[in-house]
Amino acid sequence: MNQVLTAAPLSHYVLLSSILFSIGVLGVLFRRNAIIIFMCIELMLNAVNLLLAAFSVHHSDPSGQVFVFFIMAVAAAEVAVGLAILIMIYRNTGSINIETLSNIRH
Amino acid sequence: MTNLSWLIPVLPLLGFLLIALFAKSLPKTLVGLIASGTVLGSFIIAVSIFLQNDGTAHTVKLFDWISSGKLHIPFAFLIDPLSLVMLLVVTGVGFLIHVYSVGYMSHDERFAQFMSYLNLFVFFMLLLVMGNNYIVMFTGWEGVGLCSYLLIGFWFKNTDYNNAAKKAFIMNRIGDLGFILGVLLIWVTFGSVNYSEVFSGAEGFTKGDKVITAITFLLFIGAMGKSAQIPLYTWLPDAMAGPTPVSALIHAATMVTAGVYMIARSNILYTLSPDTLNFVLFIGLGTAIFAATIGLFQNDIKKVLAYSTVSQLGFMFIALGTGAYTAGVFHLMTHAFFKALLFLGAGSVIHAMSGEQDIKNMGGLRKHLPITYIVFLLATVAISGIPPFSGFFSKDEILAHLYAHSPVLWGFALLASMLTAFYMFRLFFLTFWGGFRGTKHQLEHLHESPLVMTAPLMVLAVLSVLGGFLNVPEIFGGNLALKNFLSPVFEASELRSFDPHIGHQTEIMLMAIAVGMAGISIFLAYSRYVANNEVPSGDEKEMSWLEKLVFNKYYVDEAYDAAIVKPLNWISRKSEIFIEKQLIDGTVEGSANFTLHLGGLLRQLQTGHIGFYLIAMVLAVVAIFGYTVLF
Amino acid sequence: MNALISLSVLGIVAMLSEIFNFKKFLYSLILLGLVAAIGVNVMEWGQFQLWYGMMIVDEFTLAFSGVILLTGFLWFLLVADNHQDKAHISDHFAISLFAMAGAIVMVSYNNLSMLFLGIEIVSISMYIMASTQKNDLGSNEAGFKYFLMGAFATGFILFGTALLYGATATFDIQKIGVFVTEHNSELPAIFYAGLILIMVGMAFKISAVPFHWWAPDVYTGSPTLITAFMATIVKTAAFAAFLRLFITCFSGVELFWNQTIMIMAGATILLGNITALLQNDFKRILAFSSVAHAGYMLLAVLAMNNQSGGSLLFYLLAYSISSLSAFAVLLAVANLKGNTNVQSFKGLAKKNPFLAFVVIVAMLSLAGIPPTAGFFAKYYIFTAAIANNYVGLTLVAITGSIVSIFYYFRIVIVMFEGDESTEVTVGSNTKALLVICSVLVILLGLMPDFLIGLLK
Repeated sequence: MNQVLTAAPLSHYVLLSSILFSIGVLGVLFRRNAIIIFMCIELMLNAVNLLLAAFSVHHSDPSGQVFVFFIMAVAAAEVAVGLAILIMIYRNTGSINIETLSNIRH
Repeated sequence: MTNLSWLIPVLPLLGFLLIALFAKSLPKTLVGLIASGTVLGSFIIAVSIFLQNDGTAHTVKLFDWISSGKLHIPFAFLIDPLSLVMLLVVTGVGFLIHVYSVGYMSHDERFAQFMSYLNLFVFFMLLLVMGNNYIVMFTGWEGVGLCSYLLIGFWFKNTDYNNAAKKAFIMNRIGDLGFILGVLLIWVTFGSVNYSEVFSGAEGFTKGDKVITAITFLLFIGAMGKSAQIPLYTWLPDAMAGPTPVSALIHAATMVTAGVYMIARSNILYTLSPDTLNFVLFIGLGTAIFAATIGLFQNDIKKVLAYSTVSQLGFMFIALGTGAYTAGVFHLMTHAFFKALLFLGAGSVIHAMSGEQDIKNMGGLRKHLPITYIVFLLATVAISGIPPFSGFFSKDEILAHLYAHSPVLWGFALLASMLTAFYMFRLFFLTFWGGFRGTKHQLEHLHESPLVMTAPLMVLAVLSVLGGFLNVPEIFGGNLALKNFLSPVFEASELRSFDPHIGHQTEIMLMAIAVGMAGISIFLAYSRYVANNEVPSGDEKEMSWLEKLVFNKYYVDEAYDAAIVKPLNWISRKSEIFIEKQLIDGTVEGSANFTLHLGGLLRQLQTGHIGFYLIAMVLAVVAIFGYTVLF
Repeated sequence: MNALISLSVLGIVAMLSEIFNFKKFLYSLILLGLVAAIGVNVMEWGQFQLWYGMMIVDEFTLAFSGVILLTGFLWFLLVADNHQDKAHISDHFAISLFAMAGAIVMVSYNNLSMLFLGIEIVSISMYIMASTQKNDLGSNEAGFKYFLMGAFATGFILFGTALLYGATATFDIQKIGVFVTEHNSELPAIFYAGLILIMVGMAFKISAVPFHWWAPDVYTGSPTLITAFMATIVKTAAFAAFLRLFITCFSGVELFWNQTIMIMAGATILLGNITALLQNDFKRILAFSSVAHAGYMLLAVLAMNNQSGGSLLFYLLAYSISSLSAFAVLLAVANLKGNTNVQSFKGLAKKNPFLAFVVIVAMLSLAGIPPTAGFFAKYYIFTAAIANNYVGLTLVAITGSIVSIFYYFRIVIVMFEGDESTEVTVGSNTKALLVICSVLVILLGLMPDFLIGLLK
């Protein structure tokens, strides 16, 4: 397993994660459907997970992988709350387009 | 017991808070009880501390007040002989006046408010005398000024009274500016505002040092304002607009003596600066004579007493100016007794005369107000310097020190002392002797005041008579108890100034002359106002130009008005148009309008769209990355 | 640490109350529990503990925990009069208690994973709390905005954390700090990238411009009670976390980040204050004022000296108690008038002089005028900043506070206008809260030295 992970140089992992993260960010920025935005945020978090795992192997230090579990658990909780909020909004407005929610302004 | 000293100022403060918060729900009797009771409590604590005091100074630190950089100001009290004497005077006389006020003000609808102000005043006065540094003193100094303002203008529906209150406040501000500059200079010079550090630091300076002179001079400006000395004295006579107990407590017995206390407290600084001391001496002497002459021609019972107060304060400054700090404090104390008594007696007269204050309309009151008559007589004798009443001892000590300093100046002071005896007995005879000159209506209403008012009068009368024995000079076999008690405070000064000693023979001769002069004055007053039944007309047409000049108080108010107030008004009117309206308003309103306009624009940024927010945030992140890569 | 345990236990007890049917006593139980938590927190003063390198108990932790617990206790006093949803009371109490527990984690972390967990415990709780009014579109919107942007910002914090881990091979902030000082000149690029990303994420949490967008809208839309919680407890935790992170990890590379923070601080002060000027909703004014105060507090971070902790502590406490009393009066007024508009305060001075007095004290304190706590809060922060040569920024901050006087006093002026108002009633708990807050504000304004001396 270790050998598979160390086969590619570290910089490739950093680059891949950065690209994944950026895709996530761009998705959040340019999509209007709340569910897709959630997915993009998950993509950002998974980019982080990948990066942590890669660094963890590189440093031969398990704490990075433990952190990954923290992130997974917390992300699950976060999305659960997020979806609940979204359902509530869908009931009230009949839409999950983020642009419908702009009544509080100025 | 010293540990309990923090209670002394806290009790009146509690009284103030209680009365101010529950003014509506408390019955009048309870308000009176709280107000007087708290001050009595302070007095009892002060007495018990006094009884245990062995002449050493104790510092009671409550908490660190301000601490910033090099500036450390503790909120701490200093309990030493000087502050103890002041504590006893303030709480003792204060208590009596509180009791008196309960009777005097009982018919006023804002009685509770009045009593709460009095309590607040006592609190600030106690801060002033108890603080162990100049900042706490300044807090009290400003606080008593505020209470003085509130109480002078207590009957605020009368515009004149309000103006008097404003005048007092403004004149005191001029003095306070000097005071605060002095304190700043102290801090710059000594790096501390605590008495102990300042005074021990001062001992390293030589006599006549310029910085010390500047400090003492600035502080004295503060004293001139607070203690009504030339040229800042004109507020005090006007301050008589306040209810009479206020005049007694604030404008005779306590607040106006704050300047004297401050100089006595800072005695080492003043001793190191002979120039300032001379200045103090001349201002004091000038004020003593000047105010006494004005007192000769006043017809308002409270105005006479007001000018007399100014004049007596002058005497205290004479004492300080000659370096006789004990004598100054001694006279402060005896003056507190007899002047408070005179004011309260006058209050009793005014009370009986249904508000009449003009002595032209009084006369013959001794039959109707027997108690007031007797105590007023005792106080008048005391202030005139007739032995063995209190004023004799304290004034004699001042005169003796002045004679040793300069016989010529002594002559002038003697003149002032003579004038005092004359105008006081003039007042006394016109009020109590002869026939009644008021209206019939007033005659029917004449009555002696109730016990709650006369009891404090009697206590003060005893003090006025016996107060002098606290410091009986050696020639009468006395042991100078007060001087010995206070000596730790003035020790450092006494080491640095030579004590010009005058022989016992000379001293007795001086006393004889002073008493003789006072006697002559009294006789003159008697022959003029009793034997010849003369009544001042108050009509300027019958006066010579000199009389007219003095009657009109040397036109000082008018001169100030013409020289300062009117030009200032002119300048402020012009600057309102040119500087205020055009320059400042233009700039300020312009920038304010600009900011408001900007606010209107910037709030448009808060569009409410999540998409916009997210993009703005990401752009900011990109900008930060760009910035750090580029720089 | 004991405070954290007590809070967690209290939160679990709150959830159990639903099952075991003692909801009636729950409120009093929580108040008692919070007093006990304050007690154990005070008892721990002077101790130093390190829990497996993950959590640290030192004076910084205990002082800020104390502020959080005190504010939390006061906030719970406010709950009595203003919590309408009786059916879900145990859930709401449990969530607020867990949020406080998360806040304590945020002030006592010694490891970036704990920082992450603390932030998420607080944030997820707050997403729920913000959207508790299910049928109110404003509350929905607030919850959604908060959630979406919060999760987005968390992504940045995590990516930054991962990069820092890659550069330093540890999550332990003290070890990172040592690494930074030892390799000061040869730090890899991913370290700096990680620093910026973490800084951005934290700046979002403390609502510093230009990452503040969520704050005014979320504060306005959430139920006012929850806004009070966010503006005080959450803010305290976020700032303590921010300061600890920068002092422990990044003080060695101060020159790298200080200009960015400086610009952020200046922009936050100016934008927050100026935008608040023309708002008509008091709640929104308080929201923008909260943004502006974040700017002042950034000065304490910039100061990076031994005054930073003490002055930030003082500022947060002064700000929190002043805001809480303002929110309490706002809640009372809004309950009566049905809206949070500034005009609802009309005539308050005549009908409710006590409430008006409380508002005046709070506004004086927020505006930084003596003799209130707010004055010394600003004074200490400014002197700390000047000590580190941020004179220009301090001038900007002073300009900002002059501007702020306009909107703080506007509400005071409105209170003295007109007299048509009916009397606003407040319950005894709210009254107690108002008295405690006002007394504390004045007391801290008169005797600031005690508190500032805690952290040197």
